[in-house]
Amino acid sequence: MDQIGEILSNLGVTWPKFIAQIIIFLMVYTILKKFAFGPITAILEERRKRIEDTEADRAKIKKQLADSESLAAEKVAEANETAARMISEARESAAALGEKEKQRATQEAQDIIAKAHEATKREREQQLASLKKDFGKLVIEATGKVTGKVLSDEDQKTINKETAAELAS
Amino acid sequence: MFSSLGDSSAALFQLAAVSITAQPYIESGFLASLTNSIFVALVVMALIYFVVRAGTRRASLIPGPVQNGVEFIFEFLYDQVEQVVGPKVAPRAFPLLCTIFVYVLVANWFGLLPGVGTIGIGHDGDRMPFMGLAGEPEIPLLRPATADVNLTLGMALCFMIVWFYITMREAGPIEFLKHTFAPKGGLTGFINVILVPIFFFVGIIEVISILFRPVSLSLRLFGNIFAGENLLHAMSSLGEQFGLGTVGQFISSIVLPLPFYFMELLVGVLQATVFALLCAVYIQLSTAHDEEEH
Repeated sequence: MDQIGEILSNLGVTWPKFIAQIIIFLMVYTILKKFAFGPITAILEERRKRIEDTEADRAKIKKQLADSESLAAEKVAEANETAARMISEARESAAALGEKEKQRATQEAQDIIAKAHEATKREREQQLASLKKDFGKLVIEATGKVTGKVLSDEDQKTINKETAAELAS
Repeated sequence: MFSSLGDSSAALFQLAAVSITAQPYIESGFLASLTNSIFVALVVMALIYFVVRAGTRRASLIPGPVQNGVEFIFEFLYDQVEQVVGPKVAPRAFPLLCTIFVYVLVANWFGLLPGVGTIGIGHDGDRMPFMGLAGEPEIPLLRPATADVNLTLGMALCFMIVWFYITMREAGPIEFLKHTFAPKGGLTGFINVILVPIFFFVGIIEVISILFRPVSLSLRLFGNIFAGENLLHAMSSLGEQFGLGTVGQFISSIVLPLPFYFMELLVGVLQATVFALLCAVYIQLSTAHDEEEH
């Protein structure tokens, strides 16, 4: 032990200096523990938690975005389908309406033409009847003047009948 | 044997340019224990305090440059410690190992600052003054803190106390004794009986080696830093040894130590790493089997 003590003494080791150095070392330990390890551990933990939260939020937002995109695509597809169906129905409806209108117009046109034909025919018959009457009168008058006698009712009837027959032929 | 060692040590001490012991500023009284290395240790402590406070006083999630640097060192060291001692023991071992590394590193590098070991009280009359500056001081005002066995031995003993606490907490006394003295390798039967005394003997050697750990740790660090300080002093006074003139001595005292300053920068990191790493390995050796079994 004396030899060890001598060696330590030669190396300048004494109790007061040795204890002083230990105290200084423990003070450095305390400083680092209080002002470095504690705050840095806390800040690193807080940063780690913040990053974790951010990552969780990011994943959540990403999922929500994917859901929204999926929903939007679904809605667009549904809208497209509805629109296509409506357009198809509108086309069919328009075609049916057009056909109906066309038939109605055709019918009306045919009716108008038929009425016009009938009116023309009736007018022609009236004109023809009037013509026959006037022509009969004219023939009777002409016959009376030419013959110089007053024609009896029987003669007038005969002349009208013959004149009408002539006009008809 | 010891007396011859003492004689040779005394001869070596006389040859050394730097005193092997830290020197007090005042020889007697209460302040006789205030040596130049204790003063530097206090300065190093203050330096560490100011840097750490600057880095963590307004710690925020978006760090400033100083906080970023402190965090980088902290995380880097924690990762290294965790790799060696394992994730279970790391939280308990890290504060001491980090303190050892930071304290030794700052103390080693502080010893390389100009003025440390060269400015002091009283001067060697043999050396020629130049531009008002005299030769080597008799009592340097500043001495590298780690070139004092009081510091290195005290630090090593503190580590051994913490090592014992962690070992007892993690492994327990029974497991520690089994790990140290019991036969290993899962041997059974007659071979196991034969090997029991051998392993017991190995265990005694192991205990002796554990007891010598503070000595080896402290003397390794002290020897390297003290040798570096001697080397720098020897290089700075080489011009005088070669008999150069005053100007030659002045220039050589600046130029010749320069490459060795870079080497000592490296030695400073290396010794801090070696000290902290060996402490980590010692903890790992006494606690690893516990982690493996669980």
